[in-house]
Amino acid sequence: MKGSGETALHFAVTIIGKDRPGIVAGAAEALYRLGCNIEDSSSTMLGGEFAMILIVSHSRPFSKARLLEEFKAFGEKLQLSVFVRTLAGDETFHDTPTGELCMVSVYGSDRPGIVFRVAGELAEQGINITDMNTKLIGTREEPVYVLMLEAALPDGASIEDVTRLLEKLKKELNVEIGVRSVTPVSL
Amino acid sequence: MPARPILHYPHPMLKQVCAPVAAIDAEVSLLIGDLIDTMRAGPGSVGVAAPQIGVALRVCVVDVSASRHGRDNNHGLLVMVNPEIIRREGGAVMREGCMSVPDYTGDVERAEMITVSFLDDQGRAREVDASGFEAVAVQHEMDHLDGLLFLDRITSLKTGLFRRKKYK
Repeated sequence: MKGSGETALHFAVTIIGKDRPGIVAGAAEALYRLGCNIEDSSSTMLGGEFAMILIVSHSRPFSKARLLEEFKAFGEKLQLSVFVRTLAGDETFHDTPTGELCMVSVYGSDRPGIVFRVAGELAEQGINITDMNTKLIGTREEPVYVLMLEAALPDGASIEDVTRLLEKLKKELNVEIGVRSVTPVSL
Repeated sequence: MPARPILHYPHPMLKQVCAPVAAIDAEVSLLIGDLIDTMRAGPGSVGVAAPQIGVALRVCVVDVSASRHGRDNNHGLLVMVNPEIIRREGGAVMREGCMSVPDYTGDVERAEMITVSFLDDQGRAREVDASGFEAVAVQHEMDHLDGLLFLDRITSLKTGLFRRKKYK
């Protein structure tokens, strides 16, 4: 267990709260005042909640407590939940996937287990989900579930392998499943 | 004719509109040689534009014949001086990356088929109908001649599909 006084150079920060103008501005201001750099971030609105995930860094080691303290006033004012995860040095580097990148789209009448079954099949083959969005659309009477994910395939695995892997779920879950390559082209 | 280092954004050269080539003289021929060598030296590279190696002239090279996406549909090595797209048709999205913008990729929509007119390395006027990956590569490299990066072309967030719903 890390003590709160421990210092680090990198933190993962998540901020969630009821959507309203000013959340990004407030978070960015707090980080700017601290001298933090927002290295990578992704934010979106889900179900009326606005959620931010940020990887932040600082040129000199400082503490998680200091980070949380800076967020306190703004977080309380906008009623946000703020979480900070201290990143060890070896957590701040990651390997870029070298295999194929694919997008999987799944949609059909809503039912339990769509995410569970699709993700389970992928995980079993060592396929790493790198991005995922799900949405309940349609009407109250006929709810439709949409799942879109991107996944990095292990070296040697092909888009066709994933298509075959997920084929059986079409019948089992009564959903449409599409798999296409989104491997970047380098120009 | 050595491979030359690829400039990375924010080098100002990458954001400027390049000047047309007045005549294919010895200097331009050397530039063309350097562009080809630089393209061949880049891992998996299928094209290089002059501003990427620090020359603000409207010259680029494209060769997708060795790439997976282009090997069945290409014109081999295309050396293009003062290229202009005179016809575009259709649209297709590809996730692009660029040697001048390392570590980032984005979905870009471009014409699926183009007709491009240009002068070749001997100064002869040519017209080529390109489609598929070759068309994408030509459009990407030609963008460099106008100071445009793929970052200027990304039109939607990956989650675009999910932006329409109104929460009640």
